[in-house]
Amino acid sequence: MGKYEIQTSKAKCTGCLRCQLACSELYTKVFNPSQARIRVVTSGADCSIRFEEDCNDCGICVDHCFFDALTKTKRESDK
Amino acid sequence: MSVGGFADRVLHVDLTDGRIDKHPLDLDLAQRFIGGLGLTIKLAYDTILPGTDPLSPENPIVLGAGPLVGTNLPSTSRLYAVTKLPTSGTIGWCGSGGVNFGYLFKNAGYDHLIIKGRADRPVYLKIIDDEVEICDAAHLWGKGAEETSEALWMELGHPTGVMTMGQAGENLVPFSIAFIDRIATLGRGGLGAIMGAKNLKAIVVKGTRGIKVADRKRYKGLSEDFLQTIRSYPYLKEWQDLGLVKSFPMIPKETYYGMKKRRIACVSCPIGCKDVIEIPDGDFKGLVKCTSSVLNLYTPVLYGFKDHRESIRCMATIDQYGLDAFEFFGLMSFAKALADHGIIPPEQLDEEIATDSLASMEGWARKITYREGLGDILARGFKGILEEFGKEAETYAPPLVKGMQPYVGPGAALSWDLFGTMELGQVLDPRGPHVGASGSPTYFDRRPLEVFPRHLTRMGVPEEAFERILPGLNSPDQEEELRVGRLLKYSHAWFSILGSLGICARGAINRFYNASLCAQFYEAVTGIEMDVDQLRRRADRLWTLLRMANIREGLDQKAEALPHKWFSKPGFKRYTTEEPLGLQEGEEMIEDYYDEWGWERKTGIPSPQLLEKLGLKEN
Repeated sequence: MGKYEIQTSKAKCTGCLRCQLACSELYTKVFNPSQARIRVVTSGADCSIRFEEDCNDCGICVDHCFFDALTKTKRESDK
Repeated sequence: MSVGGFADRVLHVDLTDGRIDKHPLDLDLAQRFIGGLGLTIKLAYDTILPGTDPLSPENPIVLGAGPLVGTNLPSTSRLYAVTKLPTSGTIGWCGSGGVNFGYLFKNAGYDHLIIKGRADRPVYLKIIDDEVEICDAAHLWGKGAEETSEALWMELGHPTGVMTMGQAGENLVPFSIAFIDRIATLGRGGLGAIMGAKNLKAIVVKGTRGIKVADRKRYKGLSEDFLQTIRSYPYLKEWQDLGLVKSFPMIPKETYYGMKKRRIACVSCPIGCKDVIEIPDGDFKGLVKCTSSVLNLYTPVLYGFKDHRESIRCMATIDQYGLDAFEFFGLMSFAKALADHGIIPPEQLDEEIATDSLASMEGWARKITYREGLGDILARGFKGILEEFGKEAETYAPPLVKGMQPYVGPGAALSWDLFGTMELGQVLDPRGPHVGASGSPTYFDRRPLEVFPRHLTRMGVPEEAFERILPGLNSPDQEEELRVGRLLKYSHAWFSILGSLGICARGAINRFYNASLCAQFYEAVTGIEMDVDQLRRRADRLWTLLRMANIREGLDQKAEALPHKWFSKPGFKRYTTEEPLGLQEGEEMIEDYYDEWGWERKTGIPSPQLLEKLGLKEN
């Protein structure tokens, strides 16, 4: 369990994949959304956001979201 | 340090014999043309045989995505196609927000794709990393552009980049367009018809290889500062909320909010300008429409539609067929005038032409798409109508540029009347008229000249050119003026730089970039040395080569003549004083434009000395 609890708002997501780009670069040193620990799919009005099992809630995806589709709160144990 | 940014391969596909080859990217060539748009122009120049019929198998489609595409630098997903376009007959570019297609293409391991030949049956091209396959498209042929995209996503799942066209492209309507991921367009010029002529219904792409950056530490420092600049921009939330409605408030905000379902951004874009809307009430309640801007859905309103819901429904039909909506409505207005004056004989009109009627416009869109009756003549565009109905028809024709209707100006859909770089650029861009800021300060009306130097610096204009663009700038006794032709040269150069890197040229984002930053990002991403001077030189090289490609096709300054109808009353006005603009003044702007590039002032032909200086002599 990581430092943050990550909340998602699918209604605000634009599918820009800034989250996947940042996540993949941090952990693989390459921009490769297919290796990201967060997965976003927007198609027309539909959107899904899910996290892979190896996501450790580090929150870098939130730092790169410009649309408030991802937000984070510090877990109680880390406060 | 190894080279980053580039995917390092060029994919060649010959649809005639089914041959597929992957060639290593020529890195020296990429450096000389930056990449993206620049290298796409160079590859097209080398591949297009002079005199090629745009709809022949020999005419290639060359696609390219720049070295920044696939990184997380803001709004770096642009995709370009260069080919010989059937509407204008010129070699021109079509550009699109790459949505998902751009980054997936790079992640599949390709910077460019060159498609030649003609398949013997309907096909689509499937690219999944190293696996490239020409697939049967019998089940897709006859479907609309959106239906095709949906069908391919059903087959292949998400994320998959989809480039496709509608039935208008299948039936070789020269003003048919291609769509990227259902929402963005490789618009004006007729790319849809070129795909149709190749029996190529779609290109789909998936990629998992990743894009690396050469200097991660420098990249991180530069990009974090840059992202902070964007985050601090006071109008960011408003841009994100309203998209292009912020700049062009032609829709009441309440109406827009009542139908807005989702903002869509191309991959890496922190602003987002694309819309998903749903009609909330009325006969078409529940219709969901994806569009590169909600403003596009109001095109029929500009031509007389009273109900915006009918307008959206009409655009949904036009987009399914894959028609260029501006050209379609321009043609229908022209055809209506010809019908009203009896030039189109009543017996040819099996249906009334009413540009304010949904039933009429949907009916004519269908007839044009399927080339039924008079629709077959209209499907040949303005040129076809003028050939069919002769000299008498010319009186009623709108001002035309390279056989197409300009977006902006007297008689056009958008009646902006101040003559800035975009207005002049409609004549001087090789592809023909289109809209686009290209970073120029004249994109917005009535900007005071004192703010221009800041924009010129941002666009990478050398200081020695400031006085030529803004005579009187540093002379208190002399009245300041603006030389639009000279400014347009640098606007095109700035657009060339952005496009070659892969950065979106829309005003909402390119305002944050500047030439110095572009050079630094290029260095950090690719590891290749770059400064502003070198970027400028490459922009001069690639745009001059595009000029040479068209001169080779026989383009001369006559093809770039200003339409006389632009200068009859009410015509264009000067950007600065808003006084009426004269034809001679406009012609001097064209000469200034040629001269600023270093092309011969009267003819626009680059001199042998210039070609040698730019390293283009061997071309």
